[in-house]
Amino acid sequence: MLLVFSCTDSNKTDLNADTIRIATTTGMINDIVLNVGKEMVSTQSLMGPGVDPHLYKASAKDVSTLSNADIIFYNGLHLEGKMTEVFENMSKRGIKTVAVAEGIDKSKLLQSPTYKGYYDPHVWFDAGLWSNAVDRVTGALVAHDPANKEIYLQNSADYQAKLKTLGTFIHNKVNSLNENKRVLITAHDAFGYFGKAYNFEVIGLQGVSTDSEASTADLQNLSKLIVERKIPAIFVESSVSPKYIEAVKEAVNSKGFNVEVGGVLYSDALGNYGTPEGTYVGMFEYNVNTIVDSLNK
Amino acid sequence: MENKYTLEITDLTVAYDNKPVLWDIDLNIPEGVLMAIVGPNGAGKTTLIKAIQGLVPTAAGRVLVFDKKYSENRGLVGYVPQRGSVDWDFPTSVVDVVKMGTYGTLGWFRRPGKKEENMALEALEKVDMLDFKDRQISKLSGGQQQRVFLARALVQNAEIYLMDEPFQGVDATTEKAIITILKDLRSQGKTLVVVHHDLQTVMEYFDSVALLNIRLIASGKVENVFTASNLHATYGGRVKFLDQEISQNAV
Amino acid sequence: MILHELIFDYTLRNVALGSAMLGIVSGFLGTIVVLKKQSLLGDAMSHAALPGIALAFIIFGTKNMSVLLFGAGITAFIATGLIYLTTKNSKIKFDSSLAIWLSTFFGLGLVLLTIIQRYPNAQQAGLDKFLFGQAAALTQSDVTTMFILGAVSISIVILFWKEIKILIFDPGFGTSLGLKLRIMETVVIALIIIAILIGLQTVGVVLMSSMLIAPAVAARQWTDRFSTMVMLSALFGIAAGISGSVFSSKIAKMPTGPAIIVSISFIVLFSILFSHKYGLITQYFIERRSNRNIKLNRILEGLLNLSVNHDDPYHPHSINVLKFMGYSPGAIRSGLEILNKQGLVEHRGEEEWALTKEGYTEIENNFKRLIP
Repeated sequence: MLLVFSCTDSNKTDLNADTIRIATTTGMINDIVLNVGKEMVSTQSLMGPGVDPHLYKASAKDVSTLSNADIIFYNGLHLEGKMTEVFENMSKRGIKTVAVAEGIDKSKLLQSPTYKGYYDPHVWFDAGLWSNAVDRVTGALVAHDPANKEIYLQNSADYQAKLKTLGTFIHNKVNSLNENKRVLITAHDAFGYFGKAYNFEVIGLQGVSTDSEASTADLQNLSKLIVERKIPAIFVESSVSPKYIEAVKEAVNSKGFNVEVGGVLYSDALGNYGTPEGTYVGMFEYNVNTIVDSLNK
Repeated sequence: MENKYTLEITDLTVAYDNKPVLWDIDLNIPEGVLMAIVGPNGAGKTTLIKAIQGLVPTAAGRVLVFDKKYSENRGLVGYVPQRGSVDWDFPTSVVDVVKMGTYGTLGWFRRPGKKEENMALEALEKVDMLDFKDRQISKLSGGQQQRVFLARALVQNAEIYLMDEPFQGVDATTEKAIITILKDLRSQGKTLVVVHHDLQTVMEYFDSVALLNIRLIASGKVENVFTASNLHATYGGRVKFLDQEISQNAV
Repeated sequence: MILHELIFDYTLRNVALGSAMLGIVSGFLGTIVVLKKQSLLGDAMSHAALPGIALAFIIFGTKNMSVLLFGAGITAFIATGLIYLTTKNSKIKFDSSLAIWLSTFFGLGLVLLTIIQRYPNAQQAGLDKFLFGQAAALTQSDVTTMFILGAVSISIVILFWKEIKILIFDPGFGTSLGLKLRIMETVVIALIIIAILIGLQTVGVVLMSSMLIAPAVAARQWTDRFSTMVMLSALFGIAAGISGSVFSSKIAKMPTGPAIIVSISFIVLFSILFSHKYGLITQYFIERRSNRNIKLNRILEGLLNLSVNHDDPYHPHSINVLKFMGYSPGAIRSGLEILNKQGLVEHRGEEEWALTKEGYTEIENNFKRLIP
């Protein structure tokens, strides 16, 4: 049985009034909701391909979308750094807001070295941790629509299986690369959990949030490191300006070492809708392939 | 026998927001006169000087300099603006300011050179400011600043000089020095048109006068024009302190 | 070692060169803008560049720096035109007009950025980085562009030196000479825009105005010559650019643009306080010294006056008598000690002081100085 909600301004939202209206922030979260909720939900994702969640400021239209939703799923842990107040307001209005990453046991999270009590929010790059987010979404859907509990649980189990398969694929692919070649250099610190879970050394130029400006020292140190350790490839990201990484490449090249930009990784967003990279699993596979193949030189 | 008119002003009108500040000025100024422009505040005296040179937009009128349009003969006109119209804190020296008088002759890309430097020094000598040639202009007294402006105009070697209140706020010595220079220029056949603020000295310094209050009330030789009734017409009230003097001197 | 790095390290070399280029151009144009009393015009123009960047991205869909800068220049130019038009044709004064258009254009820019952030390619263009610059990302080609723009601007200023000088000092007189100062005004505005475009990548929209103002203000404290002020201003700009880059290269996480601004702020502060000509602290000490000299001279003359009663200029007096000269006893005592050291007075007996021959000569000399 579908729950139908009467709403006074249904013509104002893009969400289908016959379904559970869900607003999400990142594409990765949106992917979970679509896979667990399937035709029971209609989703609106605020941050599409190439959009940076660290810098994203909610527009009036976004606020309207959020307030017309039944459930809001966001990452939390300050990923959506400029939207904290908005979520608080939504919650005060009685809309269910769920921070999908905040259910993870804090001991499993990466702490910020400089800011006490702050954690790296990029948890989706550990498929194991991300399954916790899947559980949280499932739980919220079940609580909201208990009548369809069985369907949600089944969908969830299917999705979790996919994540397990993904995890195995990643481990295998990474192991095909010599351990001393496993150095991933990207525009910002998005891949910390990837490094921890899959045995990769990870270095980001801009820090955990793209809001910061990299200093000359940061660039100099990074180029020195690349030359010293003869790292063959560095990576730009789809949702971040490539300018810094390109400057590093030129600096390294000027020192006589040939480093390539190995490819565009998806860090804080998925790829375009309708492509394999437009799904969480597809995106992660693409990333790992790109990384390992470029470094395997 | 007619004197040649060096400056012919016809129908000159300047308006802001549809209000005239100068209206229908017809003024012909012959060669070799030392003419004062007097009038109350807001009469348009500075506007007249500026309008003649095309420094403010005019609603109507025409200005001929030696029978040609002002824009064609502007090299014959020297200008001494009001002292207060510039910021004397500008970092430059006295001789540098005087050299600015030569800029009109240099064309776009040339800088003032030795020749211009000498012209400037000569002019500074004439106004007795040669000793101050390297002084920063903010360190000058009012009278000294006025002399620098005068020197700058002298360097232009013009035939007509337009001056805006050159005696305003200067010491007695400077005032004497300036009027001496002006009379000297007149004896060389130059035409001098001077906006003057001090009615007391009009008769002593000038041979001609134009009485202005948005319209031209009267103009001509000082002894003919500088009368009580004309002054009343210009200033719109009794010009008390001059009543006695005027009635003694009026024709 | 730093010098070695400046020359041989790709990153530091380009960042420093680019920042130095910004410094020179800011120095040249800043002097003009500050002396013309239009300092905040630079602020308005740089803020007005923001919507241009956003619009260029929306219309052309590219992250090509030249295209974005072109857009920036256009809106900066339009905003300036609007500021002038508003001032001329309405009762609104220049600074109000400035404030209105600054906030309008900047606000429009922010709105556009918020809209753009949803576009897939937007982050790639790094549009938000124009707010504070990303100097550390300067590449050789960026620096080459800045160099060309900078060289063109400086050449134009030098070419039109006298016209610019008179435009600032006495535009009325300059126009009466027949100089085409309306054209010069437009040229100067175009040059300021070029300076801003150079600065956009380095210090960004928000901080650019201080780059225009600070070096010139600092330079003014040290000189009374226009040409020297321009040179000094450029020098300060270069110094700030290079030092900011070096700081940012020695301290991790220290952003380069803001480091440059902090550098130039120190230079300004130092100049305002300590310059030999106009420094506030310098003035204070000069005044203090001259006040002290006045006080010492008065003590000498006081001794002379008192001795008149005795027909002997060297007659000693008790310090208690001297107390009534109008200074605090402590001040008189310390003054006498100093004069004693200078050999102008001597201690005679318990608390008695008298002029020495040298002291008498000193008073004579003082009077001679007054009467040429």
